[in-house]
Amino acid sequence: MATPHLEEEELRESLKRCPERAVEAALEFRTSRDPQLVPIIVMGIIERFVEPDVRPILKKEQDRTRLLEDLGIDSLLMVEIVILVEETLDIHIENEELRSLRTLGDIKAYLDAKIKGLPVPSNKNLVSFEELAAVMPHQPPFLFLQEARINGTSAEGSYRISGNEPFLEGHFKGNPVFPASLMLESLGQLAVLLMLKSGDPVFGGSIDPDSIFFVSCDGVRCHKLCKPQDDLQLKISLKKVHAPLAQFEGTIMSKGIKVAKAEEISLTFQVGDQPNA
Amino acid sequence: MRNVVVTGVGLVTCLGRDKEAVSERLRNQEHGFVRYQPFVGNPEIPVSVAAPIPEFETSSADPEDWTFPSEIRFRLEQLRGLCPNALYSHFALRQAVHDAGLALEEISNTRTGLYTASSGSAAMTYHHLHRMKRFGPMRCSPLGIVASTAGTLNFNLAAAYKILGSTSGFVSACASSGHALGFAHDEIAFNRQDRMLVVGAEDFTEETIIPFASMRVLSTNEDPDSASRPFDKNRDGFVGTGGAVTLVLEDEEIARARGAHIYARFRGWGQSTDGYHVAASHPDGHGLARALEQALSSTGWEPGSVDYVNAHATSTPAGDISECRALKSIFGSVDSPAISSTKSLTGHALSLSSIMEASFCLLAMDDEFMPGSAHIKELEPEANGLNILRETLSHAPNRLLSNSSGFGGVNVVLAFEKP
Repeated sequence: MATPHLEEEELRESLKRCPERAVEAALEFRTSRDPQLVPIIVMGIIERFVEPDVRPILKKEQDRTRLLEDLGIDSLLMVEIVILVEETLDIHIENEELRSLRTLGDIKAYLDAKIKGLPVPSNKNLVSFEELAAVMPHQPPFLFLQEARINGTSAEGSYRISGNEPFLEGHFKGNPVFPASLMLESLGQLAVLLMLKSGDPVFGGSIDPDSIFFVSCDGVRCHKLCKPQDDLQLKISLKKVHAPLAQFEGTIMSKGIKVAKAEEISLTFQVGDQPNA
Repeated sequence: MRNVVVTGVGLVTCLGRDKEAVSERLRNQEHGFVRYQPFVGNPEIPVSVAAPIPEFETSSADPEDWTFPSEIRFRLEQLRGLCPNALYSHFALRQAVHDAGLALEEISNTRTGLYTASSGSAAMTYHHLHRMKRFGPMRCSPLGIVASTAGTLNFNLAAAYKILGSTSGFVSACASSGHALGFAHDEIAFNRQDRMLVVGAEDFTEETIIPFASMRVLSTNEDPDSASRPFDKNRDGFVGTGGAVTLVLEDEEIARARGAHIYARFRGWGQSTDGYHVAASHPDGHGLARALEQALSSTGWEPGSVDYVNAHATSTPAGDISECRALKSIFGSVDSPAISSTKSLTGHALSLSSIMEASFCLLAMDDEFMPGSAHIKELEPEANGLNILRETLSHAPNRLLSNSSGFGGVNVVLAFEKP
């Protein structure tokens, strides 16, 4: 009979390559279940699994540090980390929940809620890059969304400017600035994704991805330059549908500062006969 | 049919990794046996002698505990998907590719394939299943399967070397890597591939070797200098070893066009099954005799033209007699070729043994000798009439055969000739 609860020596054995402070915190956590110990334990477990060359990135403990892109933690290594976290904290992490943990911040917030018995931040509506690339008519190198979240008739998305975008070589010479026209494009793309994934009856059926085109926009203002390594946080919400037109409002933020706003983006579309996937 | 040649050798064996050094040890009959402390120190284990692999310590089921040469650095997620024999194979494959003078893009193309032979890893299987029973299925390493099952070499090596051609694994017990070589030969001969990497490997662990103790097929002799003595009248079983060997096979024209060093032409092969017993060989060696006949017919050689046979002879009482009878039925009426068992120096490497012994034959052919069968004090009477080499001969065989037999009564005979 499997008994997931670990004896002390088994816990020490499981954590043998973790930093000593994490092992001590884990042993203390067994009796106190003090949520403040969780970040020390979890960061120690992650440190044990990442390559030595990325440990300095990890030590900065920035919430936005991404597990895959910044720390090289692939899905299999992530499962190893999760197993050790589960053993150590005596909790169970659902696959569905696991899928939504993409940054150190996600992990901390998730585990904090879990230990305190609060509802965990849900990412049920998360659309990963793989999923969005599969449904979008836009494709790299002209896809300016990395992940998105659909909530009925509004959506949030993000795009990190990598600095490797080919157009940055000429925009501008020696001074890479993300073009304002592409900021508008990224909002338009998020609106397209919303139309394809929302499933809201307001659109009158499932929309043919090849039928969506730009019509007009109004009230566009840019407030801040964005450069490589900046994260664009995109938001779009449906204002109204007047088939074949749909009108949206969109904003872009970066590091908590407003970057751009579009008061009205109009797209044209047609309802196809394929069932909504 | 196209001609197939061998252009690269990579070794991780109890005799070492350096091919010149291994060749010298074969020539000088220097064995790789020791009184192996983990066996000697465990009163429940009736076996003392084994042939460990220098530079590799892989007795732990935790790959991060292993020690191995520093020339390959594995990422953690890669290391955690390995078992001991996959680790050895990484070194053997790297060395063979280098020995053949091939660049990575000459490996990663649609005309290059990878055939492997490994029984998987008993130690890793036990470790991961023990965790599953102890902590539940969701607490098992996601790489447990990759590290444990008999496909482990294919999974790990095909991914690491970005293999695009045919990849497959062969499981026929102690003939496994012979089958891998034989079918790899055919891939090239029938023009389906131009180049094949063939890897055979076996864990050197207690979990792989000691289960043979209860079958009473391991030598309980405590003396490393005499425990493994194929063809000796007083032999009492085999001695366990492990490791990995890679051979690079190529179409002869392609190999010559790129100026590759050619060890030997892989002229043909034969295989058969005894249809007799789950573990024991047919007492009269009927199956092996048919495999020998088939190998000879695939090459067109007369029995009298064979210079050397590397015998399967593992030093078990019954197995060696069966092989002697098979050899006599083929070579009894002609001048017997020189016959020896290099297991007298290495012990039995199970899934690895066929390709390991093929590699020894290639080194011998290349370095102009035929290795003697060590540790024979009194010849097994059944071997009378056969030319069992006791001392090394200092000239190369022009034509040689290498025998392998495995559980289930499978037999493979490989035929190599001077290029």
